[in-house]
Amino acid sequence: MKSKRFEALDARPVNQDGFVTEWPEVGLIAMSSPSDPKPSIRIEGGKVCELDGKQRADFDMIDTFIADYGIKLENAEAVCKMDSLELARKLCDINVPRAEVVALTTAMTPAKITEVVSKMTVLEMMMAVTKMRARKSPANQAHVTNVKDHPVQIAADAAEAALRGFAELETTVGIVRYAPFNAIALMVGAQVGRPGILTQCAVEEATELELGMRGFTAYAETVSVYGTEAVFMDGDDTPWSKAFLASCYASRGLKMRFTSGTGSEVQMGYAEGKSMLYLEARCIYITKGAGSQGIQNGSVSCVGVPAAVPQGIRAILAENLIAMALDLECASSNDQTFTHSDLRRVARSLMQFVPGTDFICSGYSATPNYDNMFAGSNWDADDYDDWLIIQRDLKIDGGLVPVVEEDVVRVRNKAAKVIQALFRELGLTEVSDAEVEAATYARGSQDMPNRNVVEDMKAAGELMKRGLTGVDIVKALAKAGFDDVAGSVFGMLKQRVAGDYLHTSAILNDSFEVISAVNQPNDYRGPQTGYQISDEKWEQLKTIRQAISPENV
Amino acid sequence: MESEELIRQIMSEVMANLGKDQVSFAKKPAASGGVDASSYPLGEKMPGQIKAATGKVLADFSVAKVKSGELTADDFRIAPETLEMQAQVAESVGRDSLARNMRRAAELIKVPDAELLQVYNALRPYRSTKAELYGLANDLETKYGCSVNAAFIKEAADVYEKRGRLKAE
Repeated sequence: MKSKRFEALDARPVNQDGFVTEWPEVGLIAMSSPSDPKPSIRIEGGKVCELDGKQRADFDMIDTFIADYGIKLENAEAVCKMDSLELARKLCDINVPRAEVVALTTAMTPAKITEVVSKMTVLEMMMAVTKMRARKSPANQAHVTNVKDHPVQIAADAAEAALRGFAELETTVGIVRYAPFNAIALMVGAQVGRPGILTQCAVEEATELELGMRGFTAYAETVSVYGTEAVFMDGDDTPWSKAFLASCYASRGLKMRFTSGTGSEVQMGYAEGKSMLYLEARCIYITKGAGSQGIQNGSVSCVGVPAAVPQGIRAILAENLIAMALDLECASSNDQTFTHSDLRRVARSLMQFVPGTDFICSGYSATPNYDNMFAGSNWDADDYDDWLIIQRDLKIDGGLVPVVEEDVVRVRNKAAKVIQALFRELGLTEVSDAEVEAATYARGSQDMPNRNVVEDMKAAGELMKRGLTGVDIVKALAKAGFDDVAGSVFGMLKQRVAGDYLHTSAILNDSFEVISAVNQPNDYRGPQTGYQISDEKWEQLKTIRQAISPENV
Repeated sequence: MESEELIRQIMSEVMANLGKDQVSFAKKPAASGGVDASSYPLGEKMPGQIKAATGKVLADFSVAKVKSGELTADDFRIAPETLEMQAQVAESVGRDSLARNMRRAAELIKVPDAELLQVYNALRPYRSTKAELYGLANDLETKYGCSVNAAFIKEAADVYEKRGRLKAE
């Protein structure tokens, strides 16, 4: 006979998820694999000749890069000899300032820092994240995509996401040739919602750089690095090519962060029997050594792998913490969907949501899940109210603010109209009034008319060929009578001349003032220090449209 | 005990370097004529001294000048001097590798977009022979004065050779 209790349990969403037991030989282990190296470093004549148990003669490309660029060597030998438990305590101790911890962590080897964070519970890691996050205030990032690559919908969704509080917006494409349209629609739509939003378009490396050079994006994020040499080769890059790419972006005044995450190596079949966290630590050191200001990590699109093994979600928090401990901006994932269980998806996100990170999600889908072109999201537009109410319940700032329907409708409509006018001025494809109307009230692309894809791709190709730039967009917007939006796009272009947003954890406020770890560093030292929700902000966060006030009863 | 002494030693070094701002360590004084975190954000605090790659002054930028055609796309490019200043800001808050990246980037400003993409692609695995990478490095150095990048590319070529990641000749 079958147990009715188990029958009910088997039918629960969580039991549609995949789980595996640990298998260290192939790297299917989140933390502390028996094959993880023991921490060690030996420096002779200013050069690392031994790193984590390996002699220089045996270094692979990644060891060489980390040894030569990734570690502050002055105190490296001394820190390596320190008790890892004592170092773990410093990481979460409110009495030890962030700067003191950074002096220690940036001198650690990948195996050492992995050992240190492995001593910590998730609660201690969350305490550490509160202190170690580089920027004082947390923020959030959204994904703005749709299955039709509909530029009018992208602009409207971007405007709404900006209004809702996201500091950065990222798009990508279904059809590669749509990339210029998506990038432009995202940038312009975002500026309609709230001036100063940073935008990016995730496509192949060289194309992504070109879109940035043209002034269609402000930053890039999908500069992927990996923890084993074999996977790096599969990814068609090396630490040197990625470091060079980092400099290319900075040379054009574009913000940039790397991307990596636990599980990518085992997923690609070359984990060398090492734990996911140790391999990810290597990625973070490559990022540091390349001079990237930050990283998007937290398993990202490989989340299904760590989520399937024991303590995988703990490892994801640990990798975020390592990034912050190395003084990098951390866009902490919480993006790709990994579970059928609503309970599990919330529990996974609380690790970053509660302490706050530079970007809690990277990103949060600003569309319904069916329109998310990053393979579905852990959080989407249908969850907006849940996110807001969790913020209100816990009095935490997860980067979003309550909005009212009429404001959302207003900015969506304006963004759609601006794209219509911009496309007309630039001689691109036609945007009909029906499309503007549909985008204003749409939930997703199922509510949008179809585009003439052939004509769109032709126009997108032509605009690249005729050398259109962000300056042409400013002119066209002004000509179309949208002086405010022209001014905002101009404000974004100006940023690349000053380069202030190239610094760690930089975002812009609505006056185009830079907020980063340089002028707003995290100074958390325990209760009532560090980032505090102001009275004004709390008033905003607690005022949700659903709440009944006594005068209404 | 040994580790406790060590902590004390490192702590005292850190404390000695702490400026007024307790969060940044290894705060170095600005070199003569240089800048540090106190000048940041440069674009807000000293727009009169920030020039674009074309030499135009940031403080004079306006939408009107874009509309009139006085400002073109070329004017919205960062200058090597500005990236050097940003590198100094990064160093002043202990971010040496970010500063190194900014200095490599400062050299690359002069390199045209297409050439930059070509060098990036050549640095990918199995794309180039050692001689080709050395050739590209020398070109960057002689044509645009990119000496730091040239050394970096040559170093990559040597590592690729050792690890068998060059194009088969």
